[in-house]
Amino acid sequence: MEQKPTDLELIQKVLNGETDQYSLLVKRHQRFVFTLALRFSKNREDAEEIAQDCFVKAYKALGTFKQTAKFSTWLYTITYTTAMTFLRKNRLDTTSIHDEGTALQLENQTSGFNANGYEKQDSHTFLNIAITQLLPDDAAIITLFYKGEQSLEEIGEALHMEPNTIKVKLHRARQRLKEKLQYLLKDEVKELL
Amino acid sequence: MNTIEQQLWDYIDGNLDDSSKKAIEEKIESNAEIKSQYEELLKLNLVFDELDLDEPSMSFNRNVMESIALSPAPVAMKTKVDKKIIYCIGGFFVISLLALLGYIFYNAKPEMPRFDLKVNFDLEKYITPKAIYAFLFADLVIGLIFLDQFLRKKVAQK
Repeated sequence: MEQKPTDLELIQKVLNGETDQYSLLVKRHQRFVFTLALRFSKNREDAEEIAQDCFVKAYKALGTFKQTAKFSTWLYTITYTTAMTFLRKNRLDTTSIHDEGTALQLENQTSGFNANGYEKQDSHTFLNIAITQLLPDDAAIITLFYKGEQSLEEIGEALHMEPNTIKVKLHRARQRLKEKLQYLLKDEVKELL
Repeated sequence: MNTIEQQLWDYIDGNLDDSSKKAIEEKIESNAEIKSQYEELLKLNLVFDELDLDEPSMSFNRNVMESIALSPAPVAMKTKVDKKIIYCIGGFFVISLLALLGYIFYNAKPEMPRFDLKVNFDLEKYITPKAIYAFLFADLVIGLIFLDQFLRKKVAQK
């Protein structure tokens, strides 16, 4: 069986002129970059624009990528910066997780999804609904930690924060996600946990 | 923040050193409440692991490749900046400076001019105990400012 080329091997090929190999890199990371963008924009069209912009920026700056770090971490740093710039430009309402006022607003927001309306929905459907209701920072940290296979240090690098700050934020994000799940699932949460 | 929940999460994530790990393991074994909390977090961790990644549109990859098609192909920084060019420029400046210095020394007469500064300046008049105290006080203030900055940086690093 043929072994898949690593990210670094693909990058080397692109830098050596085989630019079509970049398509494989995009294919490999597009789901994650798109999901991360979606965590910030909360809108598929915007997320697609952010993700596309991110891959174009990464391609243009590929020559400056220090091959001592993981390509994914570098890519997520670009995604975070691109998403922030996009949101600032579009003046979308993104707030820090420290903004308790907004957090409360979101808590009280009536969800479009009512647990009673769903019969026998599996836990992970509700989980994916719950994560969309989190604040962007919380959702991004949870996604990077659980799906991006990133360490606290790498998440810190991607989001321009100290690893200890990420650790505290991750803890809070988990608590908030648990609360959202409890709200969505009501009594069913006991079966789940 | 160092609550028992945070410690349990650290234990689940594998972020604890050996001694802290042993301590939390003992707590889990000896305390039924902590044990049930640990089991709950463990289940929650498995649930979080089931998160789905969203899929972009079918044309996403093609759109990206079309967008970059017009951009110049990326080149590694190493090949962009040829070291030989930098060495050549540096060498040129070093040789020019050496040539200039050589020319100056060759044409210079080995005679030192006499300096006769006719300045009537009574230094003792200005060095009074007050001036010395003021100088030391200013030093102390500067020293404290630097110490404050240094400590702030240390705290920020933690």
